[in-house]
Amino acid sequence: MTHVPPPFDPELAGALELIKDMISPGLTPDQIAEVRQGPGIELLAELDLTMGGTFVVEDRQVPGPQGEPDISLLICRPALPAAAGARPVIYHVHGGGMVIGNNRVGVDVPLAWARALDAVVVSVEYRLAPEHPHPAPVEDVYAGLLWTAEHAAELGADPERIVVAGASAGGGLCAALALLTRDRKGPRLIGQVLMCPMLDDRNDTPSTYQMAGLGVWDRTANETGWSALLGSRRGGPDVPAYAAPARAEDLTGLPPAFLDVGSAETFRDEVVAYASRIWQAGGVAELHVWPGGFHGFDGFAPQAALSQSARAAHVDWLRRLLNG
Amino acid sequence: MKELAGRLTALDPDAGAAVRVIAYFDRLAESRAGVEALVRGAAVLSGCPARLVDPERRVHVRVQPDGARQDTETPPDPTWPSARLSPNGPALLWLERGGGASEGAAGSGSGVAITEQDGATPSRADEEQGGAEPGGVVAEDAGAAPDRVDAEQEEAAPGRVIAMPTAAGPGMATAGHGGATPSRVASQQAEAAPGRVTTKQPGPAPSQVVAARAGTQPGAADSEPAAHSLSVVDAVILERAAAALRLVLDRTRGRAPADDPALVETLLDATAPEQARLYAARRLGLDLTAPARVLAPLGDRPRVVPAGAGVAGVAGSRPAPPEARLGVGPAVPVLDLPRSWTAARTALRFTAEGTPQDPGPRVVHADELGGIALLADLVVPGAEPPPDVRALEAAAATTPWLSATLHAVASTTSLRAAAAGINVHHSTLQDRLTHAEHLLGWPLRTPQGRLRLQLALAMRHLARP
Repeated sequence: MTHVPPPFDPELAGALELIKDMISPGLTPDQIAEVRQGPGIELLAELDLTMGGTFVVEDRQVPGPQGEPDISLLICRPALPAAAGARPVIYHVHGGGMVIGNNRVGVDVPLAWARALDAVVVSVEYRLAPEHPHPAPVEDVYAGLLWTAEHAAELGADPERIVVAGASAGGGLCAALALLTRDRKGPRLIGQVLMCPMLDDRNDTPSTYQMAGLGVWDRTANETGWSALLGSRRGGPDVPAYAAPARAEDLTGLPPAFLDVGSAETFRDEVVAYASRIWQAGGVAELHVWPGGFHGFDGFAPQAALSQSARAAHVDWLRRLLNG
Repeated sequence: MKELAGRLTALDPDAGAAVRVIAYFDRLAESRAGVEALVRGAAVLSGCPARLVDPERRVHVRVQPDGARQDTETPPDPTWPSARLSPNGPALLWLERGGGASEGAAGSGSGVAITEQDGATPSRADEEQGGAEPGGVVAEDAGAAPDRVDAEQEEAAPGRVIAMPTAAGPGMATAGHGGATPSRVASQQAEAAPGRVTTKQPGPAPSQVVAARAGTQPGAADSEPAAHSLSVVDAVILERAAAALRLVLDRTRGRAPADDPALVETLLDATAPEQARLYAARRLGLDLTAPARVLAPLGDRPRVVPAGAGVAGVAGSRPAPPEARLGVGPAVPVLDLPRSWTAARTALRFTAEGTPQDPGPRVVHADELGGIALLADLVVPGAEPPPDVRALEAAAATTPWLSATLHAVASTTSLRAAAAGINVHHSTLQDRLTHAEHLLGWPLRTPQGRLRLQLALAMRHLARP
């Protein structure tokens, strides 16, 4: 099999050129601490979460998993009264390869949806690996979802209209949430938005090899992230589906899924495979493979034509889901 | 992951950013990015709307700093910085930066990018600007008014663009997220009017980047002077983007005009349906509402050019040897181009090599021929020439100086000027004319004789096969 990678989209190739000093494709375990201190995290304080006054923002400490510490939810509610009844909730799970990030990371994306769709955004903070390996992250995320569903009325939100959404590790955790909530019989989700989700700890699809050393989040970084989460279990026979949703045997009974991924990234094949398996299981999924997209391209280069298309596709799907 | 860390947005106005600009556009060009992607690059990296206007090819692309395409009918403000895609071409890339009156008129464009940002804290760029006044910024076209950057020129010597100070702050690393309004830096630039390059002497006096805090108040009526000075980053963006755009337009839209022989043939065929000719004109990038003309080069395909374009500028689009003989047709409406073509071919017959053996103009404009053009119908190329032409040929065959001398006499206003033109003494010229009159059999120094000579010389060109 050839390992020649698909070319990056021209504009995205240019964007990679701009960020290459800051973002390297690989991430090794010893670099995690450094990246956590990086400029990206600092900048988060500057992000205007109110989006010019559109949202009222609060940080709320809520109970974590049984016997574990509280977790923090970033809650952004539209400032204006709701046009029609309780609002839908976008429950956002941030990315960062399971090892970095906080609940501000990437939240501007669901905030933009929420502005367009008059929704509440709840973005969950979860404990990070390797200090907190599986199941800490996914259980934190689940605990936040439980609280959100139970307290929806307080937020002017409708507990029956919760969509989970996340990119990268956040997408993987959302896929896990869909499995968990199915298996634990609640809370009921009406949709899952899995943007370039991190699904498969085995790290051995053709795209993982093809994109080694290229773009953003390559094989090496992926191994770092999964190993942080799973330790020596990574890639072995007993990895639970709630850690790596690609391991799930049964994909029936899941809420409708939106999945997208770039053609020029590590996760391409596992995302395509996951969508296919949802269909094979009789489920509902919409899959977009953005040609020449690298991992997280629409976050790094939101102005690029391909990013604009991707972001429009997200909103379109949500609009159909929520209004349809 | 790391989504926010490197989000691509307007670059900090330090000169280190210029290197990234170059890398960005190089990469775009390498990946064969299209026109809109290049214009978008200029908009995103500068943080203000960018606009490509190529009247020849009828290409208008305007992109906002958030990457959204938004064309407009409003004409560009001439005070905006701009770069020509090629030295004499009409195509320009604009950055809708600064400027007064038309900013409002431009509507959603630059105005929005600035006002939307009111909430953002502009501290970052300010600090960098104040703190790290880049020392040795050397802009390109320093000259008098570096408003215009010439892409082609620049390409000739890509190396000398910038000497960039590395002093500047954290730069791009922190240009980071702009959230939904990615033009944070742009607004800061607008407010703080950062690094304006006013001069660039690489010499002992290091170039000055003047932080011209134009108006004291950000919002105060834009009182930019008509001649903007240009920030280093803007200059590099314009130059790189324009160079890349020129290549892409040449590749994708043809080297307008006159690049497709079949289209030109249709356009110049009076028997072709009007619709077909209009279609061909559009495909060739002609403005259907503006006059155009046909050029007839010797031994080459005709070319169609907008009447405004100089003949020289056109030659650049598909290089013809500068010595090539050329007939220039009159400027006419697009549908009358077959007539311009006929006239251009007639004009071509009046041209000469411009050598001592074949003196005369290499370029003849049909417009300037007047009634002389009627001779073209009377003299058939390659047929037996009229008697006066035969006399000229016979005399020239035995007398090497004859052609040049007679041309000088026929084309100047006095014998003294004619003598000077061919570098002979006045009395030598008189001697030669006496000899020539003998050979030809008619006087050359009377008005009637000069007319007969001029007609004979013109017919001599026309009679060539």
